[in-house]
Amino acid sequence: MIDMIEKEEPIISEEEAAQYDRQIRLWGLDAQKRLRGSRVLLVGLGGLGAEVAKNLILAGVKGLTLLDHEQVTEESCRAQFLVPVTARGQNRAQASLERAQYLNPMVEVRAYPDRPEDKPDDFFLQFDAVCLTGCSRDLMVRVDQLCSQRNIKVFCGDVYGYYGYMFSDLGKEHHYVEEKPKTVKPAQGSSDGPEAKKAKIDPNETTMVKKTASFCSLKEALEVDWTSEKAKASLKRTPVDYFLLHVLLKFRTDKGRDPDPQSFAEDSQLLRQIRDDVLESLAVSGDLLSDDFVSYCFSEMSPVCAVVGGVLGQEVVKALSQRDAPHRNFFFFDGRKGNGVVDYFGPN
Amino acid sequence: MVQLVGSLRKELADSLSSCRVLVVGAGGIGCELLKNLVLTGFKNIEVIDLDTIDVSNLNRQFLFQKKHVGKSKAQVAKESALQFCPTANITAYHDSIMNPDYNVEFFRNFMLVMNALDNRAARNHVNRMCLAADIPLIESGTAGYLGQVTVIKKGLTECYECQPKPSQKTFPGCTIRNTPSEPIHCIVWAKYLFNWLCSRGHCVLYLCGSQLFGEEDADQEVSPDTADPEAAWNPEEAAARATASEKDGDIKRVSTKEWARSTGYDSIKLFNKLFKDDIMYLLTMDKLWKKRKAPLPLDWQQLENHARPQEDSPGSGLKDQQVLGIWGYCKLFQHSVETLRSQLEQKGDGAELVWDKDDPPAMDFVTAAANLRMHIFSMNMKSRFDIKSMAGNIIPAIATTNAVIAGLIVLEGLKILSGELESCRSIFLNKCPNLRKKLLVPCVLDPPSANCYVCASKPEVTVKLNVHKSMVVFLQDKILKERFGMVAPDVQIEDGKGTILISSEEGETEANNSKFLSDFGIRNGSRLQADDFLQDYTLLINVLHTEDLEKDVEFEVVGDAPDKAPPPPSNQEETNSITNGNKDSAQPSTSSKEMKTDGCFMWRQRKKKSVQENPCTRPSVVLFLPKTDLCTGPNI
Repeated sequence: MIDMIEKEEPIISEEEAAQYDRQIRLWGLDAQKRLRGSRVLLVGLGGLGAEVAKNLILAGVKGLTLLDHEQVTEESCRAQFLVPVTARGQNRAQASLERAQYLNPMVEVRAYPDRPEDKPDDFFLQFDAVCLTGCSRDLMVRVDQLCSQRNIKVFCGDVYGYYGYMFSDLGKEHHYVEEKPKTVKPAQGSSDGPEAKKAKIDPNETTMVKKTASFCSLKEALEVDWTSEKAKASLKRTPVDYFLLHVLLKFRTDKGRDPDPQSFAEDSQLLRQIRDDVLESLAVSGDLLSDDFVSYCFSEMSPVCAVVGGVLGQEVVKALSQRDAPHRNFFFFDGRKGNGVVDYFGPN
Repeated sequence: MVQLVGSLRKELADSLSSCRVLVVGAGGIGCELLKNLVLTGFKNIEVIDLDTIDVSNLNRQFLFQKKHVGKSKAQVAKESALQFCPTANITAYHDSIMNPDYNVEFFRNFMLVMNALDNRAARNHVNRMCLAADIPLIESGTAGYLGQVTVIKKGLTECYECQPKPSQKTFPGCTIRNTPSEPIHCIVWAKYLFNWLCSRGHCVLYLCGSQLFGEEDADQEVSPDTADPEAAWNPEEAAARATASEKDGDIKRVSTKEWARSTGYDSIKLFNKLFKDDIMYLLTMDKLWKKRKAPLPLDWQQLENHARPQEDSPGSGLKDQQVLGIWGYCKLFQHSVETLRSQLEQKGDGAELVWDKDDPPAMDFVTAAANLRMHIFSMNMKSRFDIKSMAGNIIPAIATTNAVIAGLIVLEGLKILSGELESCRSIFLNKCPNLRKKLLVPCVLDPPSANCYVCASKPEVTVKLNVHKSMVVFLQDKILKERFGMVAPDVQIEDGKGTILISSEEGETEANNSKFLSDFGIRNGSRLQADDFLQDYTLLINVLHTEDLEKDVEFEVVGDAPDKAPPPPSNQEETNSITNGNKDSAQPSTSSKEMKTDGCFMWRQRKKKSVQENPCTRPSVVLFLPKTDLCTGPNI
């Protein structure tokens, strides 16, 4: 999909140049053009989804499609800033559309009220990147499998209370460029010998270096075998957030929803139980995840959505613009500690 | 049994809805922060910003839309935030936080203050107000992909000023005027040229040290520096030149401006003077060119004869990113001078223009003049786009970095309100994960520095200067205000009589301004007590007299590391030195008048390592002189 850049209009309008000035100065015009030719699907307009929507719309993608089957509740108004307080009962994607569009009239924003599970494969294939929030593990695995083989960039992310993660699958061969300073030959001072008589190379000049990165599927990332000797040895350096993610995804699969503050007591108990089951099934120690996390993973915390949504949004921008090294392949954020780590999980 | 309201414990949620918080700044970080505060459940928020909305803000300051351009940021931010939380109680102030209305009592109203600023002066000021009011302060900043958050609490942590921050990079006068070697030198020169031509400037000249200065913009001299020590073959000659310049040189300088006016700002005459005659003059200072490539003067007529029609490449780039040929910049110079002249004419007698990067003829002028000079000194010319970045001290900015930092600010805020100060951290956002896989790096907060000249119990400093050559107004403006961050200083001499040297009351001590410190009996070992009552700040200054300062250096604070500017943070993964603001950034400031800045972030300390040295830097603090009238200034 990215290869279709050649078809886009070469001229950046005055309006775009003025509005995007401060970001063009950061990532360059080529990157901005690639963004301007990209279409993105965003599933889930909860707290995290709204942040990602804002970030991508402001970045200036060609189109952003919002897909969410949920209805607006009182909780949703507290969780995100795109849904008007008067929109209770409406579809969340459609209720978010107006404010999302206002963020940047130059982006084509669309909204659909359907369940992602009900969408045919074709639907997903019309995009350059797909971003899944609030989705079940099965759906994410399916969509990832479908899309990444077609060179469609796949991202997943969620926020659970103080915790959040994002995952990316940019395919087996993701090409990008990095800007490096041009190596200047010695003689930089102003009062050197004969060299100084030649025209000066600006020490700030840079050059673009081409690189490639390879990503595994979500399925592979989640199905790491912890029984191997190598895996066991690496456990010490492994963020426990990875295991927490398994627990929360399982909760979502089993209950069809996330932990709810309204049912704090039972959900807490269930979480502890699922924790035990998951750790056992992964053949890792039950001590890895203490009980502590339980009361901190309810609801989507706005500042945590902002952090995870910021990182996730920037990863989408990087992937679409094919500029700068992507994080590979998970980012975990712990809002209680202020820790944000990037780590790779997959077949070694 | 734990009770939750959303993600939060009930006690915390309750205290959020009752406490009052202050957000200083409604720009990139401010918009994101307001949104997070409101969604998290804060109910009583006050936000202050002196700025209005510009179209270049819209890529990240998402509470604003195109229709809001020109309006007050604080006001529109409030209105937009109320849209998604109508029950929030938000007060907006379109004002400067340094306004004395916002005194210690004002700050005491809040449980928490959060900065979302882009310049050091305001940060210093809010730092002191929060210390005085003993209110926790969350500091933050961003630039490009990088960002930082930290917490400041009196007595518990370092204050904002505990660690010395690199000061604004400046260039020695002779580099700007005689021997530029980098594009930035030419850009600085071009901006000075603009001020020189378009605003009140030099008329009466003062001798100070070995250099002659004009009134007001003494540091913005553009014509060849005949007193350049490098130019002289021997000391006697240097002295002779210095004396000669008193007669020829200064008359020349006065004439430059008067002359420009008298020729009616004739662009071609101006061109030939600046880019031919002055360059030829420089060439006579042949010692300068022994080891450097000599500049090549330009001749308008010759260039016109050789001009080839510019190939119009519609290209796929921004028009601004094109680099024209030399004739293209000649024409641009001519055109912009003509436009500026008519702007001045329209404004009438005594008209002045202030340089503004967003004013097209002003930007065109600097683009053209800088490029012409770069060409003369054998540097590759640059596009208007690139020159604007340097001349305008633009720091690139995106929504996502601000979103992350604003999220972290609220998380620290929650810790503070929960009474968990010991769990607060400084958190750094990197572009790439570090060796320990961290993209976000939390660090334990440092305790206050015992010698901090702001938060120590009895702050004291020693300042090295020449009491016979430093004027009172210089002490006030360059030392107390600029260096020590006071807004309205009062100074007494500890001479047993409590002689008042400077009063913050307008007019009271104006007569002292152009007197020298020694005129008041100040000498080596004297002590001055400087107060800023608004900031509730007293600083004792020990005077160390010296006749022996480096060229272009007018004072030194003893104990400071020598000024070294860190290398400009380019696209690298992690940097040890992040600068403090557009005005103070590694990109040297090219104007002391420019108030608008564009995003900045804070000083990063990693195990108290000192700043990486840039061997080419020499500080150039220039003597500031009082404004005096055209013909009535003191003669020396």
